[in-house]
Amino acid sequence: MVTPIFIVAIALGVGFSIGVLNKLGKNFTGGLVLAAITFMTFISYQWFYAFTFGEQTPTYVYTAGFKPPFSINLLMGQYEAIITLMINSIGLLGGIYMFNSLKERGSNAQVVYLILIMALNVIVMTRDVFNLFVFLEISSIAIAGLILLEKGTRSMGAGFKYVLATSIISSILLIGIIFSYFITGTLNVDDFISLSISTYKGGAIVVFLIMIAVILELKPFPANGWGLDVYEGSDPGFSAIISGASATASLYVLYKIMAFAGVEWNYYISLIGIVTFVGSNLLGIKQENTRRMLGYSSIGQVGLLMVILGFKDILGENTPYIFFGILISHYLAKAGLFWLSGIVRAKGLKEWAVIRKKPFFLFLMGTFIFALIGFPPFPSFFAKWTLVMDLVQSGNIVWVAAILFGSIMEAVYLFRWFGYAIKEENKHLEDFKIEIHKIIPVWIVAIALYGFGYFVSQLTEVSSTINFIPFAFVILLFAIDFLPIFVKNTVAILGMAFYFYTIYPQLDNFRLIFEVIFIVGGILALIAGYAYKGKREGFYPVAILMYAGLTGIIEAKTTLEFFYGWELMTAGSYFLIIRGHRSMPHGLSYMLFSLGGAYAILAAFGIASVGQDSISMSIINNIQYIPTWAYALLIVGFLTKTASVGLHIWLPGAHGEAESDVSPMVSAILLKAGVFGVALTLIGMGAENNQYSVLAYTLGWIGAITALVGNLMAVFQEDAKRLLAYSSIGQLGYIVFGLAMMTHLGWLGGFSYVINHFLYKAILFLTIGAVVLRVGTHNMYEMGGLIKRMPLAFIAVLIGIIALSGVPPLSGFTGKWLFYNAVLDKGWYLQGAIMFFSGGIAFLYLWRLIHTVFLGQLKDNHRTVKEISIWFLIPIYTLIVGILVYSAKPQWILQPLAEIIAPFFPSNQLVWNGGTAISHYGNWAGTMVMAIIGIAFLAVLGVQLISTRKAHKVKQFDITYAGERPERPETTHVAYNVFEGLYKAMWPATIPLVETFWNKITNYLHDTAGFTRRIYSGNGQAYMLHIVFFILVTYLVIIGG
Amino acid sequence: MLKNTLIALVIAVLAYMFYNVYNTYETRTSLSGVAEYYATNAAKEVGAANIVTSIVVTYRGFDTLGEVTILFLTASIISFFLKLKEEDENKSIKHGITSELLITASQVLVPIIFLFGIYVFINGHLTPGGGFQGGAIIATGVALMIMANPNIRINNHVIHWVESISGVAFVIVGLFGIVLAGGFLDNRISGLGEFGTLFSAGAIPIIYSFIGLKVGAEISNILNKYQKSQKEL
Amino acid sequence: MEQLDLGHISLAIGFLLILIGFWGLLTQKNIIKIIVAFTILDTGINILIVSLGYIVGKTAPIVDNSVEQLENHNVVNSIVDPVPQALVLTAIVIGFGVTALMLAYAMKLFNAKKTLEINKFNDLKW
Repeated sequence: MVTPIFIVAIALGVGFSIGVLNKLGKNFTGGLVLAAITFMTFISYQWFYAFTFGEQTPTYVYTAGFKPPFSINLLMGQYEAIITLMINSIGLLGGIYMFNSLKERGSNAQVVYLILIMALNVIVMTRDVFNLFVFLEISSIAIAGLILLEKGTRSMGAGFKYVLATSIISSILLIGIIFSYFITGTLNVDDFISLSISTYKGGAIVVFLIMIAVILELKPFPANGWGLDVYEGSDPGFSAIISGASATASLYVLYKIMAFAGVEWNYYISLIGIVTFVGSNLLGIKQENTRRMLGYSSIGQVGLLMVILGFKDILGENTPYIFFGILISHYLAKAGLFWLSGIVRAKGLKEWAVIRKKPFFLFLMGTFIFALIGFPPFPSFFAKWTLVMDLVQSGNIVWVAAILFGSIMEAVYLFRWFGYAIKEENKHLEDFKIEIHKIIPVWIVAIALYGFGYFVSQLTEVSSTINFIPFAFVILLFAIDFLPIFVKNTVAILGMAFYFYTIYPQLDNFRLIFEVIFIVGGILALIAGYAYKGKREGFYPVAILMYAGLTGIIEAKTTLEFFYGWELMTAGSYFLIIRGHRSMPHGLSYMLFSLGGAYAILAAFGIASVGQDSISMSIINNIQYIPTWAYALLIVGFLTKTASVGLHIWLPGAHGEAESDVSPMVSAILLKAGVFGVALTLIGMGAENNQYSVLAYTLGWIGAITALVGNLMAVFQEDAKRLLAYSSIGQLGYIVFGLAMMTHLGWLGGFSYVINHFLYKAILFLTIGAVVLRVGTHNMYEMGGLIKRMPLAFIAVLIGIIALSGVPPLSGFTGKWLFYNAVLDKGWYLQGAIMFFSGGIAFLYLWRLIHTVFLGQLKDNHRTVKEISIWFLIPIYTLIVGILVYSAKPQWILQPLAEIIAPFFPSNQLVWNGGTAISHYGNWAGTMVMAIIGIAFLAVLGVQLISTRKAHKVKQFDITYAGERPERPETTHVAYNVFEGLYKAMWPATIPLVETFWNKITNYLHDTAGFTRRIYSGNGQAYMLHIVFFILVTYLVIIGG
Repeated sequence: MLKNTLIALVIAVLAYMFYNVYNTYETRTSLSGVAEYYATNAAKEVGAANIVTSIVVTYRGFDTLGEVTILFLTASIISFFLKLKEEDENKSIKHGITSELLITASQVLVPIIFLFGIYVFINGHLTPGGGFQGGAIIATGVALMIMANPNIRINNHVIHWVESISGVAFVIVGLFGIVLAGGFLDNRISGLGEFGTLFSAGAIPIIYSFIGLKVGAEISNILNKYQKSQKEL
Repeated sequence: MEQLDLGHISLAIGFLLILIGFWGLLTQKNIIKIIVAFTILDTGINILIVSLGYIVGKTAPIVDNSVEQLENHNVVNSIVDPVPQALVLTAIVIGFGVTALMLAYAMKLFNAKKTLEINKFNDLKW
């Protein structure tokens, strides 16, 4: 094995000789520098390999042939091997990326780069504090020089501020080091540990000086303006090195120093870390400049890693797993993003729309952003999960809350940026050029992220059980994304069908219901996709990603698997939603609410695991530690997906603006994931357990109010898809209300609604979506008379709204009947009355779908539209058959449902007698009702047809105009603003209180960020003042007066 | 005003913090720790009369390598930072004539300064001084030359060759230490020689000579770059 | 009141210079003056380093006749601590490097904006 001293020897040998070798040309010297870094990478890889797969023990390298502390020694242990490998690999990739910009500045710049990488290696390996100081200075000077790779005054200003800041920091470090020698008589780290330096007289303050300098190197908030300027001002290729290599090395220095600083430092390191994490990410939301924003994110991530280091005693043997999981993701993803920013050459966030001109780059950008936020399958997902679990279990819930808050802030700006990239207008932007040597490193880090994700997941027992097959299918669809729709759609449908077939036997009936809705429903919605033409790039991978997540939560045996599925589903549905027109703001709010919900769920899973010896899903049935809070968090988390009132503001836009076949996916199907979660939670709480009755009672009210608000808002919509979207909110309110009753009848009603809502909302969204595709508008007043052109669509909508409104003979009535029985039984009369009232309101908007869209006058421009596509009609009519069967034979579904529910909620309230359901309040037989109503309907229809057979048909143009041309044509439409009167009566109920509330919060955060970031005045002197101030405040807090 | 008060406050607290550091100081009466070891063993282990030199070049030779690297880095950075545009490079500015005294003195002194610098780094293991000091002295000679004759053209190639060869030689001698002695930068690659004479202390005189040449070349290089960068104005 | 020996005095002077350096760094607007303040700070630290190696009544750590005449050839009892002297050499060289770099920056910054006021270089902020 090659001793690590050769890392230094080769770098300096090449470096010193370049003064002569530069005669051979800059390409030669550049190649030589890369070769040297390759060799350095090879050395650390060799050690890494020996530690990981062999029996290698940590090895000291003695310089000068004397034993420490008399000479300087280096240590090559497992961590050193990993970290130097990280530094050298990113150095190699970065060197390839920056080949031209280094070459442009000449062989001197190439050498400086090589020496920087070498110095970072030594910083990691050295065991002598003064040597540490020397090589820290080398790296600082090298960085100050390489900032200048980017030409212009801005980078010079940044570089000078950096020099000033680091010279103050290193002065403090040097004072600390010299006094540490004075009091102990040695400079060796291992001696400091064995002598426990902090117990010496003056030891505390000496440790303080060293420690604070090392912490300042990590750019803690708010003493980090100089760091931000460097990230913004330097060449993006070099920012990647600072973020990936330099910050990594500094973190390891912190770890090294912590070994002798004493445990009392741990708390403060975590504290500084969390302030940095939350502070940077909060200020990040105000950024419009990409590189500065990435700088904020980098500093924030380092803060999070400091938190982890501070908690290393509490996290115990999980520390390396968590630390490296988050570090690797950040290291790769941030380098990738910085490199991308150098390729795309877009400064402002909105200019990133140009990246869409090369879709593969959008994919890379998405990969990096999702890895940073901690989505599966990236390493940060598993690390964050373990971190939260361990912190909660050790009672540090406040810390978890702060970490999750910071993560949300980070998600705010990263996803807003991503949204711009996907949606912002890009016609006027000039396409960017690609240089092959710049792309290869980006590809490599992206592939490495996926690879490490899989590798990390196999490291622990719980995460290795995760089923990656659905995700592999997603990757496959990515790979075949260049094929036409027909092929991809068929592959997707067959894949889902086959997967359902294999998974079907493993599921209990409760889960089977949801799996059918998710997968069978998904297949039906996909069939409609055949109606589209072209390639529909990117649609299938993300749609299947959502389904992979959905089936993941169904199959989950552990809370980790559940959370994994939940996050996949969130990611997939986000992409589906943001594909729609004008969907950018809704996509962002959907993502943020989803993440907020997911983090609530994550925290709740953490609490639930306290005192348990596994993380099996069954632990939520028996939560031991603050169970009420845990259940409340779970419910809040799941209610973000059911869009209950207060958490619903993302839904109307997201569903209303989605593509025609996506709306049913995200409405009829996706919302049920939230229902599934709520159901699991309520089962966990248990029916007879009175201590949670407040929770259930509150949930009931939430359901009732949601039903009212959703339906009421739906009434005032002019946009057909938004109408359906609000209607979904209301319907989900019914379901939540039913489940919250925690009785057999309530659950039966709720589940009946689940199935019903799936059926009719899929029919309605598919049909209306298909109509929209034909007529090209969402606005109902721009439609009319379409019954003549699209009779089949008309019939579908008619059946859909009958089912929805809950009148006999269709299945909606089944649900209503069960509901009112349940309400009476439970005694929730007031809420029940609200539900009843909302049911009435539903008629007001449902009528409009028929009346405005299909009846009345056909519009001029719709005179030639065709019937909706056959590919939509197939799933629609399949679902209609489902509704008819369910309406005629409700017992076929309700009886098995009752059996499923019975273990949790005993079935003493409802008795079945053949096809007749009997409760205390009466009985009801679906088949009979359907038959009677059917006969009555046919009879009336017959009478009508006979009595009007001689009537004169008024043709559309039998109308005389008065010669006026209305200024706003829609006002002449009979159905426009038809509920004006109602609105006058009801308007207080439609004030968007919730939107106002969330807007206020958003504005408040923005104002805080906007105000706080003004401390970064750009003045180098102010930055020095911040640093000194930071030192002194920390000093007064830690050492005291 | 507010800012000044704030700064005054900051300086006051800083002074308070340093006062606390100051208070940890107690007058020492004897050597302790590693210093005691060096005092006892340096002479026989390393063979240099100057214990500081034995620490700088051997015991903490790795630091010294770092120091040399820092000078090298600074020179490299300044080289590409202050690099002139093509048209500036060929521009020649006529400096006024400097004083007769300076010119004459430099003609006399420069060779002596160079000689003195070489003396200082060759005798680094015996007397106060060494490579850095000697190198710095040589550079003052260069500074004097430039001041006496601002129009002088210093030969870049010579500086680069000296700098490169001495730097690489330092690393190679260091590597010899791994092969022939106890480790990287070990000076005992040859016999220690007779204590207190010029040819003693193993590789120390060799290493210090390389360091002296390299330091002299680097600093001269920096001076030269500064001098030339005036053309940009 | 402790006895004011050479060690204490030079240590106090070192800290005083450091404070002056900090004061200069935080108050001077001219970049050249800031660099001067930095060198003062640096010098202060170097004095600190050397004074920490001071031992009352001992001589320079060079084993020659002057040492051998003392205390029966016992080097340990006759010299000051050599380690800080070795360290200060490194610190001086580093200080030199940083100062040289700062001066190069100052020159280029002046060329760019024809001013040396540090608060004029705030293109990057917030």
